[in-house]
Amino acid sequence: MKHPVLSVRKLSVTRRQPDRASTVVDSVSFDLNQSEVLAVVGESGCGKTKTAEAVMGLLPCDTWDVQAESIELDGTNLAALSAAAMRKVRGRKISMIFQEPLTALDPVFTAGNQLCSVLCRHQGMTTKAARTSSMAMLERVGFAEPDHIMRSYPHQLSGGMRQRIMIAMAMACQPRVLIADEPTTALDVTTQAQVLRQLTRLGEEYGTSILLITHDLGVVAQYCDRAVVMRDGRTVEEAPVPKLFSEPQHEYTRQLLNATMGVRSA
Amino acid sequence: MDPANRTWQRLRKDKAGFMGLVIVLAFFLIALGVWSGILGQGWSEAGGGRWEAPGKAHWFGTNLLGQDIFQRAVYSVRTAFEIGFVVSVLSTLLGAILGALAGWYSNTWADSTILWIKGVLDSIPFYLFVAAVAFALQGKPWAMHLAMIATFWTTTGRLVRAEVMKIKSREFILSARTIGLPDLLILFRHVLPNTLHILFIQSSIAFVAAIKTEVILSFLGLGVQDGVSWGLMLAESTQEVLAGHFNNFLAASLMLFVLLMGFNLLSDALQEAFDPQQAAL
Repeated sequence: MKHPVLSVRKLSVTRRQPDRASTVVDSVSFDLNQSEVLAVVGESGCGKTKTAEAVMGLLPCDTWDVQAESIELDGTNLAALSAAAMRKVRGRKISMIFQEPLTALDPVFTAGNQLCSVLCRHQGMTTKAARTSSMAMLERVGFAEPDHIMRSYPHQLSGGMRQRIMIAMAMACQPRVLIADEPTTALDVTTQAQVLRQLTRLGEEYGTSILLITHDLGVVAQYCDRAVVMRDGRTVEEAPVPKLFSEPQHEYTRQLLNATMGVRSA
Repeated sequence: MDPANRTWQRLRKDKAGFMGLVIVLAFFLIALGVWSGILGQGWSEAGGGRWEAPGKAHWFGTNLLGQDIFQRAVYSVRTAFEIGFVVSVLSTLLGAILGALAGWYSNTWADSTILWIKGVLDSIPFYLFVAAVAFALQGKPWAMHLAMIATFWTTTGRLVRAEVMKIKSREFILSARTIGLPDLLILFRHVLPNTLHILFIQSSIAFVAAIKTEVILSFLGLGVQDGVSWGLMLAESTQEVLAGHFNNFLAASLMLFVLLMGFNLLSDALQEAFDPQQAAL
């Protein structure tokens, strides 16, 4: 059997509150295999994003309590790493892109400046090498004029363009795992398809496994290999995508599928 | 168009703002002239008789001691700029750093300490505080600067703190974390640059406030110790005005008025030119 790239075992996330503790993610386990696109599906508030942020180690420990048996990335247990060691892993071995590309870039720096700083930081490149490499990266995510994009400020670019820049930044160091948290929810349908195609193609090229968080079952059917269905902080079903659609095991999965089908047939 | 260029284009179209810029630049040139030793060097010589009328030898006449009022007024430009620069730069810097730390580490001991210091400083009447500092550092020419820096940073600090608290929950900060940047680097590289508009406007306000405060403090005898300033000239003129000689009084107040007016016009225009709400226009 293949060894998974990312293996999460019994991950629980609890919000610390003065009067009571509320569990947002409740002993979730899943595996992400090499070059696979794994979907995490579920309604809003079911703990998809918190699972991702816990894996990335982004939850501030004064308000969130993260417990896990193990979060293994290529055999390294991320749950046991220090904050400084975790910073070296983030951006280099595991990256993340967000739902809202409109606000995910710093408005006072050009796109090129931000892209270059990732490369300088994690690959120790010189400014000049980082520039060349950034331009190449922008070409790969489908920009015809990378030179112009490098000099543009975020407010001068469209949502789809910004999300592709985010993808370029996240993939710049050829990470092992990319977590995409509803990357296309804020984009229109045409741009959505374009962005997802580029994302999955780059993933294949670089051998990056993608954890795609979404609530859109259409996206799951088209781009993902396997899917994990979450509800109220628990995983209710995990199956290859074709099987999930043809013979859903859990009642909740059936409800989800019916909800979508209902809209389609109407 | 990049932001700096955009700001410049907007400023050029604003007539009043552009006039302000010209006035401030003209005064700045005078200050440079004094610094480099070309202008106003005879400010302390008593080269004429008491209260001479304006004429060829003394353009604005002479004062009680026979000193040239024009030279003194020109030399005071340097004093004003020196105090304005030192106080506005240092107080803005201090306010930016303390405000950023308080906002970034909000609701921790660091935040409460900084807020406590700010509260204490704000609760002491300003002139009382300056007088206390001036007495404690008697004879030190920078006592006044220190007192102003110690009190002027609080407004900047409060504004920056609020802005940092707003910015730190924005997504680009989270995305800076996901690429593995350490906390303090994110704060100074990505959060603070986003408060630049506040810092620019606050430092221009501090500049004007410092010049005005210097005049008042010098008038009270708590200010400039080793030179001349418009405040000192106004203090001298209190006796002269009673005797019917207005030259000293007019020269100092006119220079002060024109410079402050220019600065206010400029900072109003800058405020509008920097406004990101109009970025799309």
